[in-house]
Amino acid sequence: MEQELRAKARELLESGQVKLVIGYEAGSVPFKCAPLFAETPEEADRLIWNPTCVNNLAVYLPEAVKRGKVAVVLKPCDVGSVVELIKEHQIKRDDVIAIVVGCPGVLGLDSLSEMDLGDIRSIEWRGDGIAVTTGSGEVVIPREKAFAGKCLSCEIGEPALADIKIGESPAREPVTDAYISLEEYEKMSPAERRAFWAKQFERCIRCYACRAVCPACYCSECFVDKAAQLWVSKSTDPTANWFFHMARAMHLAGRCIGCGECERVCPVRIQLSLLGKKVHVDVEDMFDYEPGTDPEALPVLGSFEAKDPDPCPE
Amino acid sequence: MEPKIIAKEDVSTWLASLASKYEIIAPVTEDGVTRFKVIDDPSSINLESPAPANTSLREHFTPETEMLFEYELSGQAAEVTAPEAEVKDRLIFGARACDAAALRYVDAVYSNVEPVDTLYFNRREHTVIVGLFCNNPSWSCFCTEVGDFLTNPVGMDAYFTDIGDKLYAEALTPKGEELLSAPEFKPASEADAQAVQEVRKKALSSLPKPTDHAAASGSYDWDHPIWAKLAEKCLGCGVCAFLCPTCHCFDIQECPKGVRGSRFRCWDTCQFEKFTLMGAGHNPRPSKKERTRQRVFHKFKYSPERYGILGCVGCGRCIAACPVNIDIRQVVDKLETEKP
Repeated sequence: MEQELRAKARELLESGQVKLVIGYEAGSVPFKCAPLFAETPEEADRLIWNPTCVNNLAVYLPEAVKRGKVAVVLKPCDVGSVVELIKEHQIKRDDVIAIVVGCPGVLGLDSLSEMDLGDIRSIEWRGDGIAVTTGSGEVVIPREKAFAGKCLSCEIGEPALADIKIGESPAREPVTDAYISLEEYEKMSPAERRAFWAKQFERCIRCYACRAVCPACYCSECFVDKAAQLWVSKSTDPTANWFFHMARAMHLAGRCIGCGECERVCPVRIQLSLLGKKVHVDVEDMFDYEPGTDPEALPVLGSFEAKDPDPCPE
Repeated sequence: MEPKIIAKEDVSTWLASLASKYEIIAPVTEDGVTRFKVIDDPSSINLESPAPANTSLREHFTPETEMLFEYELSGQAAEVTAPEAEVKDRLIFGARACDAAALRYVDAVYSNVEPVDTLYFNRREHTVIVGLFCNNPSWSCFCTEVGDFLTNPVGMDAYFTDIGDKLYAEALTPKGEELLSAPEFKPASEADAQAVQEVRKKALSSLPKPTDHAAASGSYDWDHPIWAKLAEKCLGCGVCAFLCPTCHCFDIQECPKGVRGSRFRCWDTCQFEKFTLMGAGHNPRPSKKERTRQRVFHKFKYSPERYGILGCVGCGRCIAACPVNIDIRQVVDKLETEKP
C-alpha cells in the first residue's frame, strides 16, 4: 500500500492537482509517526502507511485548504471528520482529495507496553496483528494487544467518501467488549456515574490537548478562552474541570465521530472516548442520527425535525 | 557522611516513622499514569515506577491552581485576606534527577526580580527531596545531553540508587544527613558501591553524550525554515509545557461572586494563542511559527543567557507526550547542524 500511496501522491503533486498532500512520515523513533505536509513529489516519497499512523489528519484541513486544494491520507475512521467539516462548511468538498487507506488497525496506548521501546527497529502489519522488528529479533503481537481499542471494535465498511482508495480494510470480527463497554457504564446509577467522572476529572490539568487535537473543535474562540464573559473558571477545581469536559461533550454531541484522538493525547489518560461514546449513542437513540456518514445531512443539533423527541410531552 | 544502605523492605517503615513530621509525597501509578502524590500508606509506594513520572514535581511547588487572596468589598473599601502560609513539611521520595535539577532552574526564575515569589519559596523551604537514580531511563530521556545531574545531582537532599534488594543512600545536604541517621540505614559496603557503579554504567550506556547547547544556541537562526515546518504540524495543544518541569508561566484570574471573590493563579503556556494577546488586540506571537520558536529559544537560548542555566533538563516528557512527534532533540540538532 505504501508504494501505491507514494505514487498517487507524487502524481497529484506533479500534475498540480493539489498544492499539498497531508499524510504520515517516519517519526523521530521507529514506533511513532509524524504528520507530513508534502508540497513536492520528492517530499511525497517520505509518505508511510503502517501501524504507527495513529493521527487523525483531518484536524489540519480547515487551515490547510487556505493554501489551495489539499489531498489528505485518511483512515476509514478519520473520514467521518472530513464529512463533518464539509457538513459544517469549514471546508468545501472540492477543496479536498480524500485518499482513504485500507486499515487493519493502528497501535494503541499500551500495545508496546511489554516491549523495550529503545530496541524497536520497525513495525508492520502481519497476519491479523503486527510484527515488531527489534535489535534482538522479531516479536509478533496478536490483534487484541496490537491495536487500539477503537480498532478492535471497528465496524466501518465502505468509507462515507473517498476520492482515491489505497488497499482494502480487511474484513474482521469486531471484538465488541474490548473497547468501550457501555453495557457496564449504563448499569451505573446516576450517583455512581457522577462519582466515576468526578474521579476522572480530578486529574485533569486543563492542558486542552483534547481540544487541540479534535477536528471538530475548530472554533476560533473556544468557550474556555472567553475571559471577558466567563463561562468556566480557568482553575482546575473539580467544578471547573467538570464544566469544561461536560460542556465540550455537549458541543460535540452529534458531531464526534469517535476517532479517539482526545483519549490518545490526554497526558493523564482520562477516558474521554467513553464520554464521547455515551453522548453518541444518546444522540442515536434520541434523533436516529449518525455523524460522519452523510456530508449532505444537516447538523443534528442545528436543525429541527417534527420527529425530534419532545421533552415536554402533553 | 559515609554512604549508607537501606533494605527495600525497610523503606516503608522508615517513611512511616517520618509521617508525623512530614507529609510524604511519592510516585503513585493509577490507570497507567504515574504522578507524585501525597500518600497515606508508605507501603503503596512503587519503587519501580517509570523514569520519569508522567507529570513533574511542578504541581507540588506551584499548584495548577493557587489562590492568591480573597476579598470582600464594602463601598469603596476592600478587605483582603491572604491564605494561610503553608507550614506543612513535606518529604518528596523518589524524585528523579531531572525534576530536582529543574527546581534549581525555577528557583532562579522566581527569585530573579523583586518581589520574590514567596508562595513558591515557602514550599521549597518546607520540602526535603530524596532522589532516586534512574536504573531504566525511558526512550525519551536525554538528561545526560544537557547536564550531568544524573550522576552529580542538584536540588535534592539525598540520592538513592536501587541495587537489587536494597537502596544505596548518599546524603547531599545536612537535611539529608539527618534523614540517613535513622536506624533503618546501615553503612554501605565496597560491594554495594561496586553494585552502584554497575547500575550507573548500564543506565548511562543508553543515554546520549553531553552537548553544549547553551554555547551553540548563540547562533540559533531566528528565521530558520524549521519554524514554519513545526508550525504546520504543531497543534498548539500545550501538553509539552504542562508536563515540563522547568515551565513556570502562569495566568492570573479572578473568581468574583458579587461583592466577594478571590484572585488565583493557574498554569498557562506560551503555546496557547492568547498567551501574548494584548488588551488592544495586538499579538506579537500570532502564529504557531512564533510560538514553537519561543519554546525552543526560551529553553535553550534565553535561559542560559539570563540565568546561566539551560532551561531544559532532558526529562523527555514533551517528546513522549507530543501528539505529533515534535522531538525537541531533533529540532535543536537541526538548528545546530543545518545552517541554511
